[in-house]
Amino acid sequence: MQRRDYLIRKIFFAFITLIVVAFFNFLLFRILPGDPVRLIIHSPRMTREAQERIRTNFGLDKPVWFDGERLHEGDVIGAFDSQFTAYVRNLLRGDLGISFAHRQDVSTLLAERAWRTVVLLLGGDLLAVVLGMTAGLIGAWRRGTRLDLAILLWGLFSWALPTFFLGIILLILARGRLPVGGMVTAGLKPEAGLTYWLDVGKHLILPTITLAVVYTGEYILIMRSSAMEVLSEDYILTAKAKGLSTFRILRDHALKNAMLPMVTMIALTLGYTVGGAIQVETVFSWPGLGRLMYEAVQKRDYPVLQGSFLLLAISVIAANLLADLLYSALDPRVKAE
Amino acid sequence: MKTNLWRFLVVCVVLALTAPSLIGCQPQPETTTEAQVQPTEAPAAEPTLAGAEPPTEPEPVTLHVGTTYIWDTANPTFGWYNYNLRNLIYDTLIEWGDIDTFEPDLAESWTVSDDGLVWTFKIREGVTFHDGTPCTAEEIAWSLNWTIENEIETFSFYLANFAEVVALDPTTLQVTLSDPVGNMESALLLFTWILPPSVWDGMSYDEIMEFEGVAAGIGTGPYKLVEWVEGEYLILEAFEDYWRGRPAIDRVVYREFATDDVMIQALLAGDIDVIDMVPGPGVQSLESADTVEVLIMDSLFIDELIINSHENGTQPASLNDPQVRLAMEYAFDRGQIITLGYLGYGEPATTVLPTSMGDWHNSDIKPILFDPVEGNRILDEAGYLDTDRDGIREDGEGNPMEYRLYATDSASNARILEVISDGLSQIGISAPPTVMNEDSLIGLYPDFDFDLIYWGWGLDPDPDFAMFIFTCDQREEGGWNDSGYCNEDFERMYEEQAVTVDQEERRELIWEMQQKLFDDRPYLVSTYYDNIQAYRSDRFTGFGLGCGDILWKWCFLQGSPIE
Repeated sequence: MQRRDYLIRKIFFAFITLIVVAFFNFLLFRILPGDPVRLIIHSPRMTREAQERIRTNFGLDKPVWFDGERLHEGDVIGAFDSQFTAYVRNLLRGDLGISFAHRQDVSTLLAERAWRTVVLLLGGDLLAVVLGMTAGLIGAWRRGTRLDLAILLWGLFSWALPTFFLGIILLILARGRLPVGGMVTAGLKPEAGLTYWLDVGKHLILPTITLAVVYTGEYILIMRSSAMEVLSEDYILTAKAKGLSTFRILRDHALKNAMLPMVTMIALTLGYTVGGAIQVETVFSWPGLGRLMYEAVQKRDYPVLQGSFLLLAISVIAANLLADLLYSALDPRVKAE
Repeated sequence: MKTNLWRFLVVCVVLALTAPSLIGCQPQPETTTEAQVQPTEAPAAEPTLAGAEPPTEPEPVTLHVGTTYIWDTANPTFGWYNYNLRNLIYDTLIEWGDIDTFEPDLAESWTVSDDGLVWTFKIREGVTFHDGTPCTAEEIAWSLNWTIENEIETFSFYLANFAEVVALDPTTLQVTLSDPVGNMESALLLFTWILPPSVWDGMSYDEIMEFEGVAAGIGTGPYKLVEWVEGEYLILEAFEDYWRGRPAIDRVVYREFATDDVMIQALLAGDIDVIDMVPGPGVQSLESADTVEVLIMDSLFIDELIINSHENGTQPASLNDPQVRLAMEYAFDRGQIITLGYLGYGEPATTVLPTSMGDWHNSDIKPILFDPVEGNRILDEAGYLDTDRDGIREDGEGNPMEYRLYATDSASNARILEVISDGLSQIGISAPPTVMNEDSLIGLYPDFDFDLIYWGWGLDPDPDFAMFIFTCDQREEGGWNDSGYCNEDFERMYEEQAVTVDQEERRELIWEMQQKLFDDRPYLVSTYYDNIQAYRSDRFTGFGLGCGDILWKWCFLQGSPIE
């Protein structure tokens, strides 16, 4: 019973957070200076009707919150026909609007860019998690040895390494052997089947390595310190005294307990990386979510920004929720809180 | 306890797998509808990748161009970017060849009546558009009339005095002018692209403005637009029926890079063959490579410090004083600006027209060299003294000489503003630098709410446009006049040169106008900077170097692959 309450509470809070984020998301872009309509209307000579049509299409002809005059006249429904209600209505329908700059459905645009970013991040993140946790655990077990020192130094070094710097160095090293940037050779289409995916794979190698290296540092350091704490516990000594093998001690006793901070870490990283790949995407000219957002900021493309902020918020909230849920599965003490 | 490792693994896998579903989208290759332009035909994949290419087909020669921005739209009626790319797709009546020359294009030859009002063009035979429709004098007349009627922004400016355009027969085009045009040839060569009636006829103005797609790229030029994937790449393919004959390079692929550094690596690696604009810091690493040729070419680019000259602007009164402007010229360290801002790839400027414009550039105007001592002397004499001894002078009414100094936010602009600010502080003027994005800068314009702005232009080969910038009407919102300058004498000379057909007379007027601008100083022009390009000299050769841009059609078509 306790556990179910815990879950319900967590999901409820996640939901509330989401609503607040969606509300701020709307507010944020309405208080920024500048008129986005100027961007859509290419020519100042465009007829007034055409300008109005564009405003209507994008819903910019309506009041932001509500129409005070009409409310005064008693036309409650008409008064609340505003940008905000349209935003909420569309949001509930999963309609994120049309991009000013791309003149394309924002949800399509986001979906298309998001999977590219996910493809990019997945490999890098997975590699980093596996390498980082293994190295961190070994470092903690062999504490004080040269091996530990090497792992620690590597962790600190890769953590401090700027993504764009590493990316460019890798590009220089792989020059001539691997493609420099982009996602696919120009003109190649998914219809080409395996050829297409092999080509994408080739373009993925360098950004994946870059991400893996940069993220391992964090995982190594957290895993190492967390495992070190666990290894100093009495029950590890007991396990040793029972004559268990090193592998079993690490796997069954140390890893499980040291996992807790790691779960938070991994969940947070995953949540943030969906939008946080801007640097990698920039260095490798990868047409993903990060670059889309960067361009949208420059072009004041409100619908795209709104949509991608929402997507980011959802992924961070969902990742956090997931961490909470995993916590309760991994650690029996949590649900008692 | 045995299940623990499994549990851990499951946790990892779950975490990894939830990422895509969190955002509700699985990898779906078939939804990559990003291409706003659909290919008319499947482009040939590179044989090394496709593998299944028939062995009989010779490998197409592809030239890859690296750029940081391909263009804003395939629609030529409101696209402002990458004219060299558009110029490969469309033709004009007369072509802009080397920087200061023009060549016959769709017009083989032309004559002009004695009064300068009737121009008769002999139109080339056998020209077709990319969609197969013919391009005779009829279609050209239609295209020019359509441009004028719809006031197509990007190029109707050049056709201001056109009263009537008619096709007398399929090879004869007659243009009647309301007033003589001083720069008739360059008006017709510049961006007045001939567009096909088969695509554009019957559209309303709004439909024209909203038109997108590969059909917007149909012209008579040497290359056909095949595909454009926004933010990624653009593919051009040689046009078989191009009137000069099929170009030697089969395909041109533009690739967009998010950073200059990576683009330079791509050229060194051979991923791309040409960089359209090499940033100064990249020159050294490219020059050391044997396979790369770096071209440092004269251009029509100028950068300048704009001094707010609008009578209703918000600048302090002291800034309107010619003596203050003269003193500022002495505090304007062009040498240092070029060294730090352009890494030496530019020459110190005097007038608005760069030296690359040949005779149009007024070479009588001598540069004023950096001399803060002289600047201080002028300000002392003019009565601007530092009465409160805080290092900043005051005007007659005790207002300190503090100016707002702005520029767009780039690394080089930040350095340049420091040099300008430092120079001005040496003559007792405070102008702390502020960088902002271009939108914010443009936002200052309706009210002319600034004192000094560092900005630049890419000019036309004909001096008309550079002078047009300073005319009074252009101060309105959406106009070109960014200094707010408006002067009766200048206005009169501008109108006179516009209708002066005798080019020597016109040159004298243009020289006088440059002198006028130099004396009134709406601009302190800092530099005529170089256009730096680089290409793989182990793969391609022969590009013409006179255009200031090897991607400019005239120079590009001279290039060929090395066997």
